Amino acid sequence: MSTLATLRSQRRWKAAGLLVPGLLLCSAASADRLERHFKVEAHPVVTIHNPNGTVTVRAWTKSDVMVVARRATTEVEVDAEQTGNRVDVQTRQVADTASPDDLRTDFEISVPEDAELQIHNDSGGVNVSNVLGDMNVETIAAGVDLEDTAGYLTVKTVGGAFQCLRCAGRLEVTSISGNFKLIDLRSYYVRAQTSEGNILFNGSFLPNATYVLKNYSGAIEVRFSPGDSFDLSATSLKGKVHNEANLTPSSHHHFVPRFGNALFGTFNSGRARVELNSFDGTINILKRD
Amino acid sequence: MEGDRPAEARAHVSQCPSCRYLVEDMDSIRLAAHAWSAEQTDPPARLWISLRAQLEQEGLIRDAGQRAVPVSQTDQAERPRGWFAGIFTIVPRPALAGAYLLALVAACIALTGPSARQLNESRWISGTQDSTGTLSAQLQTAERDSVSAMAVSDPVVTASLHDNLAIVDNYIALCEKSVREEPESEIARDYLYDAYEQKANLLAQMTERGVNGR
Repeated sequence: MSTLATLRSQRRWKAAGLLVPGLLLCSAASADRLERHFKVEAHPVVTIHNPNGTVTVRAWTKSDVMVVARRATTEVEVDAEQTGNRVDVQTRQVADTASPDDLRTDFEISVPEDAELQIHNDSGGVNVSNVLGDMNVETIAAGVDLEDTAGYLTVKTVGGAFQCLRCAGRLEVTSISGNFKLIDLRSYYVRAQTSEGNILFNGSFLPNATYVLKNYSGAIEVRFSPGDSFDLSATSLKGKVHNEANLTPSSHHHFVPRFGNALFGTFNSGRARVELNSFDGTINILKRD
Repeated sequence: MEGDRPAEARAHVSQCPSCRYLVEDMDSIRLAAHAWSAEQTDPPARLWISLRAQLEQEGLIRDAGQRAVPVSQTDQAERPRGWFAGIFTIVPRPALAGAYLLALVAACIALTGPSARQLNESRWISGTQDSTGTLSAQLQTAERDSVSAMAVSDPVVTASLHDNLAIVDNYIALCEKSVREEPESEIARDYLYDAYEQKANLLAQMTERGVNGR
C-alpha cells in the first residue's frame, strides 16, 4: 500500500470515528418519552402488549396508573387508553419498513398494589414488583422477574427464563427452554413445568400446600430445612434422584412404579405435598445451606 | 406357605411389587381362615334334627324317603356333588386355602409371563399409536401452516420459536422411543402426551404471530 493510500485510509477511519458517536447521539435524541396518567378505582385491570422492549411494573400507594413509555424511534406508536377500570397499553408499528430495533419500546408503569396485570411481551424483559393482584404474563424470548408479588400468577414463556423472589399466592409457570428460579417463595400452590430448563425451588413448604415441579431434561433442585414438613414423590424416568432428606416410608404410596428411578417418603409430618418429575433430568433434594 | 411355593414363584414375588402385595393379602386371608377353622366347633346333633324338621314342615325340603325321582337320575345328580363334597371332607380346609392361593399366584405369574407380557406390550403400543397417530399427523400439518404463515419481523423471536420447536420435536422423538421400549410405562406416555401438547401450544403461538403479523 502506498503512503497516500495509507493516509486516505486513516482519514476515513477518523471520519468514521466522529460519525459513529454523532449517530448514537442522534439516535438517543430520537428516543422520546411519553407519560400518561389514569385515575382508577380498586382492583383495576392493566393490560400491556409490547412486542419488543422492557416492561417494568411497580406498585405504588396512589389510585393512579402512570404509564411512561420510551420509544426507540417514531416508527412505533404507543396507545394507552382507559375503559372503565381498565387501562390498555399497546405499542403499534406505524411503518412497514421499520427494523426490530426501531420498534423497541421500554415501559415503566406504576399501578395500585391490588391491580390485576395482563402482560404480553415477545422479546426484551418483564419485571414486576410489589403487585398483589392476579397476574398473567406471556412472552416468547423475554425473561420474567417477579418480586414480592401475590395473587394468582400464571406465567408462560417459550425460551425466556423466570425468576420469582418472595412470591406468594398461587403460581403456575410453563416454558420450553426457560430456567426457573423460585426463591423464598410463600406460595400455597406451585406448578412449574419446563422442558429443557433447570428448576430451582428454595422456598417455604406451607402446610397443605402443593408443589409440582416437572421437566424433561436439566436439573430440578429442591432445598429444604430441618423444620420443613412434606410428603415427597420424586421420579426421573431416565435420570437420577439424589436425596439428602431423611424420609420415612409414605402412607400414601403403596405401589412403586416399575419404570424409572423413584423416591417416595415423608419428611417430618408430611404436611405439604411435593411432586418432582423428570424425564431424563437429575432431581436433587438437598439441605438448605 | 413360603416353603410350598415354587422357586420361580418366590423369585417373581420378590421382584414384582404387585404380586407381592397380592400374596401378602392372600396370606392374611389364609391366616384369618386358619383362625376361624380352629375356633369352629360342630353343632349339637339335636340342632340339625330340629332344623330339618322345621324345613320339612315348611315344605322347603322333603324327606329323602318320599322322593319320586328315579334312582339312576338321583345317582347322576348326587355323584358329582358327593365327589366334590368329598374333597372338602378329606382335605383339611387350610390346605385347600393354600392350594387356592398357589393357583392364584400361578395365574398371576402366567399373566405376567413372557407371552402375556408381549401381548400386553403390543396392546399398549397399538393403543398408544392409535391415540397419537392422528394427533401427530395433525400437528405436522399445523406445523407446515404455522411456519409458512409466520411473519419474520423480529429475528430474536423467530429464532426462539424455531429453536424451541426443534427442542419439542426432539422430546417427542425421545418419548416415542421410550414408549416403544417400555409400552406399559404410563410415565413415558404422559411425557409423550405432554410433549404433543407443548408442540400444539407452540404452533398456536406461531400461527397467532403469523395472523397478527407481529
